[in-house]
Amino acid sequence: MLCQNCKKQEATTHIKRVINGETTEKHLCTDCAKKQGYDYDGFFDDFSLSIPNIFSGFFSDTPLALAGLRQDRCATCGSSFDEIIRTGMVGCADCYERFYDRLLPSIQRIHGRAKHAGRIPYTVVDDKPKAAADEKPQAEPTTEEKIATLQAEMQKAIEAQNFEQAAVLRDNIKALKGEA
Amino acid sequence: MKRYETPTSNGDIVLSTRVRLARNLKDYPFPARLGVEDREAVNNLVKDALLTDENRDSFDYIPMQTLTPVQAVSLAEKHLISPEFASDSAGRALILAKDEDVSIMLNEEDHVRIQVIYPGLALEDAYARAEAFDKALEQKAAIAFDERLGYLTQCPTNLGTGLRASVMLHLPALAQGGTMRRLSSTIAKLGLTIRGALGDGTRAVGDIFQLSNQVTLGISETAAIQNLNAIALQIIAQEKNARAALLKDDVFIDRIWRAYGILKSAHMLSCSEMTDLVSLVRLGAAEGILDIPLETLNRLLVEMQPATINVAEGRRCTAAERDVIRAKAVKDALA
Ligand SMILES: [Zn+2]
Ligand SMILES: [Zn+2]
Repeated sequence: MLCQNCKKQEATTHIKRVINGETTEKHLCTDCAKKQGYDYDGFFDDFSLSIPNIFSGFFSDTPLALAGLRQDRCATCGSSFDEIIRTGMVGCADCYERFYDRLLPSIQRIHGRAKHAGRIPYTVVDDKPKAAADEKPQAEPTTEEKIATLQAEMQKAIEAQNFEQAAVLRDNIKALKGEA
Repeated sequence: MKRYETPTSNGDIVLSTRVRLARNLKDYPFPARLGVEDREAVNNLVKDALLTDENRDSFDYIPMQTLTPVQAVSLAEKHLISPEFASDSAGRALILAKDEDVSIMLNEEDHVRIQVIYPGLALEDAYARAEAFDKALEQKAAIAFDERLGYLTQCPTNLGTGLRASVMLHLPALAQGGTMRRLSSTIAKLGLTIRGALGDGTRAVGDIFQLSNQVTLGISETAAIQNLNAIALQIIAQEKNARAALLKDDVFIDRIWRAYGILKSAHMLSCSEMTDLVSLVRLGAAEGILDIPLETLNRLLVEMQPATINVAEGRRCTAAERDVIRAKAVKDALA
């Protein structure tokens, strides 16, 4: 990545600022970073900085067919799927539920086709004692299952008067039925 | 006494072990979507959950706005916080153990980042300590969790356990032999990653590498810790073999003594030059060629970084001033 300021040298200093929920990022070369007062000539790992960028990269080949879904937002935090793609950051816990199907391909590109196998918080254990254990191991959903999922989503979209989205889903269902 | 000053298991090769758990509260959007007021509500909730009458005296609760930028960067140099956390203080806070072995970032990339840093190879102990904080937190707060995806995190790379465990390794002999590239591709196939821990990523300054797990979804905490530990032990064994071979070479032993000579006599030392030289001297000390406690050298690696020098001096020094201060401190430490 080139320095945003001089656009000549490789950016080595990455500054991300989050103010009132707005994220801004700066990528500067060592010289420009010094000039602008980011005089961190020490070295430490920038692990947490590089990861969101990698994730945005994972998203970048998301099919354009999804462009029609842009307007639809998480009811809890107001994030659109488009914003999640652009920033590489999910807005809130409910976004994972809201955009589950669309996030899944990217999640699988990072982690493989995996299901959580670690600890479960007490609160969840109390609510649903055996939920995690009962679920059968994750398998490739059949075409019928995919269609059922899409139909449920389409129903939701219609109820929410989100006809643009419903139309896209209807086309996807049609395509899947053609396959079957 | 700070943790990095105590001698420990596999200390000749392992500088430190770090375990981090990423957690979010269910009832608040993730930090990037959270205003300062809500962030402070999160901070208070987590502080009350984690700091009890029994442990309060051994921790500091630090709203990040109360630190100068230099103090914040110094904490990042010590790997107690991330550089990103140091770069912006709005609505952020840190729960820091007085002996700096526990560091809990509030409203970094996730609401809560529990980190435990122990010297030497101590993955199981470090995880157990982190898990105890995690359990305390979930008793008091609803945690963002999904049965399929595990702990929900702002960045999907941390989904699942939210566990990132890492071991900081001093591998001068393997690096010298040019085997790091091959090693790193083997390690990638095992779901782990190894990379230079210091420097800008273009090369591993001081031959210090960080080995960490990559995959967090579909693997249990115990399995992740055991995998990492097993691979770390293999790398340690390889480094030991490579060291034995390397130290038969008089030319290499000469390099160690020359590095020692420069450290003892230089008037100015840049951070990267010092780190490369300390790396050679540390190898000499670990292998009984030089009689210097490893803890002294570990301390130099941490405390001679730029912002940490600025904090110790209580002012913003120029790079040239710091190089003089650094050279003198190194000389004193090795005297
Ligand atoms: Zn520049
Ligand atoms: Zn949301």
